Amino acid sequence: MSSGKKFVAMSLLTFIVIIVLGAMWGHHAPADPTGPTFNSLSNYPSTTTNVPVTQVGINALASDVGHLGVSINFTWTLVTGFLVLFMQVGFAFLVTGLTRAKNAGHMMMMNIAAFAVALLAYYAVGFAFQFGGVAPIANLGGVSPLTGLLGHGSAGIIGTHGFFLQSGGTYDVGVMVLFLFEVVFMETAGYIIIGAIAERISFAGFLLAEVAMGAIIYPIYGMWMWGGGWLAKLGISAHMGHGAVDFAGSGVVHATGGWAALALAMVLGPRIGKFNKDGSANAIPGHNIPFVVIGTMVLLFGWMGFNPGSTLGATDLRIGLVAVNTLLAACVGFTMAMIITNAKYGKPDISMSCNGMLAGLVAITAPCAFVAPWAAVIIGGVAGTLVVYSVAFFDRVHVDDPCGAISVHGVNGAWGVLAVGLFADGTYGAGWNGVAGNVKGLFYGDVGQLWAQIAHVFVGFIWAWGVTWIIFSIAKRFMKIRVSEEAELEGLDMPEFGVLAYPDFQLHHAAAGHVGTDAEPIGASAGRTVDLETS
Amino acid sequence: MKLVVAVVKPHKLDDVKSALENLGVQGLTMTEVQGFGRQRGHSEVYRGAEYKIDFVPKVKLEVLVDDADAIKVTEEIQASARTDKIGDGKVWVLPVEHLVRIRTGEWGAEAL
Repeated sequence: MSSGKKFVAMSLLTFIVIIVLGAMWGHHAPADPTGPTFNSLSNYPSTTTNVPVTQVGINALASDVGHLGVSINFTWTLVTGFLVLFMQVGFAFLVTGLTRAKNAGHMMMMNIAAFAVALLAYYAVGFAFQFGGVAPIANLGGVSPLTGLLGHGSAGIIGTHGFFLQSGGTYDVGVMVLFLFEVVFMETAGYIIIGAIAERISFAGFLLAEVAMGAIIYPIYGMWMWGGGWLAKLGISAHMGHGAVDFAGSGVVHATGGWAALALAMVLGPRIGKFNKDGSANAIPGHNIPFVVIGTMVLLFGWMGFNPGSTLGATDLRIGLVAVNTLLAACVGFTMAMIITNAKYGKPDISMSCNGMLAGLVAITAPCAFVAPWAAVIIGGVAGTLVVYSVAFFDRVHVDDPCGAISVHGVNGAWGVLAVGLFADGTYGAGWNGVAGNVKGLFYGDVGQLWAQIAHVFVGFIWAWGVTWIIFSIAKRFMKIRVSEEAELEGLDMPEFGVLAYPDFQLHHAAAGHVGTDAEPIGASAGRTVDLETS
Repeated sequence: MKLVVAVVKPHKLDDVKSALENLGVQGLTMTEVQGFGRQRGHSEVYRGAEYKIDFVPKVKLEVLVDDADAIKVTEEIQASARTDKIGDGKVWVLPVEHLVRIRTGEWGAEAL
């Protein structure tokens, strides 16, 4: 036996001996294997042990119960925030799978760089713009220092406390919890754009997009909806229902990302070979369908944080309904997209069915807390249908969106926002946005709510699409936002980062779906001779 | 000596291999290839846009045999690779000028 093998064998043996000795050592009576002693008063904080039955004692007890409630809400908000963070992984899988092998390194680098760069932009200014004037959040307790509001009366335009998490005295545990939960939401809007700009944007152009998203585009619009801004106050100021309502961000997060993606895709132009001279679109199949499916499942799992977590607290028991509505819409969306592609194109399309699941998730994100399960099924079904026709529509108008980001997040984000104004059933949302009563949609008698939702859709589109379009139309004059034609054909990994995602992988330039520079379907010009006949 | 070359459907590879082994063939070389013949490729739809798969995956076999065995091997490949469906492939035979076994330096039929 070689000395290496001897060493491994000895290590393994020592390990086993330690385990066996440990298992035999010190058999004491078990302390509390089933846990009844954990129910005693002595486990509560010291102030509540032996409380006298007086007002002082009752107050002490009440304050500890309050502390526990806030602790539960902190835990819930942080853990669901971590789930939302994990969606980043799902999206990286999804978009890398939907694009070609020659760009896989570039796609993955964009996903992780988006996270880091946009997070820093949000830390520096974005968070302050969005939540600097949000005022205390009841579920998170404490006295929030986020009270800097710039605007007209109660209708805020922009927040002013919390730059670098310190201005305005924001060194505060409640603020930190809010920051963690909200920054991962911003990241969602940030990575959505990758789907539509894939395989042609330069890395420098991409970083500019992420900084703009983290510092300006997302936070300012988010402020109008969630930070005490004027869109949310339309209920008070213009008597439109409860003002614009968006529970977890169909509009604030997804439509913002989707419309920004649309602007970028339009400024960048389509990939080489996507459209033929006669105007028809070519398919450019993704290189890894298993990645697409894994990514979709990870996103579904992460969404269990995205929507239920948006209560910012587990003491709001509506979380059960929110989670179930989210699952229902996702599964109906998937099934509808599967059925429609099967009927329309002859076979169920895997990637489109996955897009259908995401479309259902995006659409239910705004209404998830306000609607009954039957409505979630309808909302998801419409979303799964919309996404199939929307992808075909953007192909027809020559907007090249390799991963369907515009259709999934933009179009269905808008649909989700409208769905609140239709299906909200008046069982939840007492006092939402400072308006008395529960949130009701058109079908439950409040047409004003629908008007507020329509305002949310239009303002959101104009802001996200417009600002992104302006920034990049100007940036185009000063920097290279699109890679060279040569780099695009070769694949972006080597020209942009000097490394290949799959170094051992022989790229088949004639492989199925690859389209030449002349934008003619392969084979058409290949000239068929008798010599070529091999079968 | 002859070189028998065949392009067959990938899932028939095992059948052809065992048929040739039964015939006493000592060795063969296979390559994964793509191509098309009279059947051409086929069309699929991806995310609503149609695309053509022009080159269909096939397996290419190369077998070196004695002149006397060439016809038998060719017939055996034809019989074992056949599915009666379009795209079954082709077999052809080429003359071989020289043949050397690298390890021993043997020439000609001895190197087979």
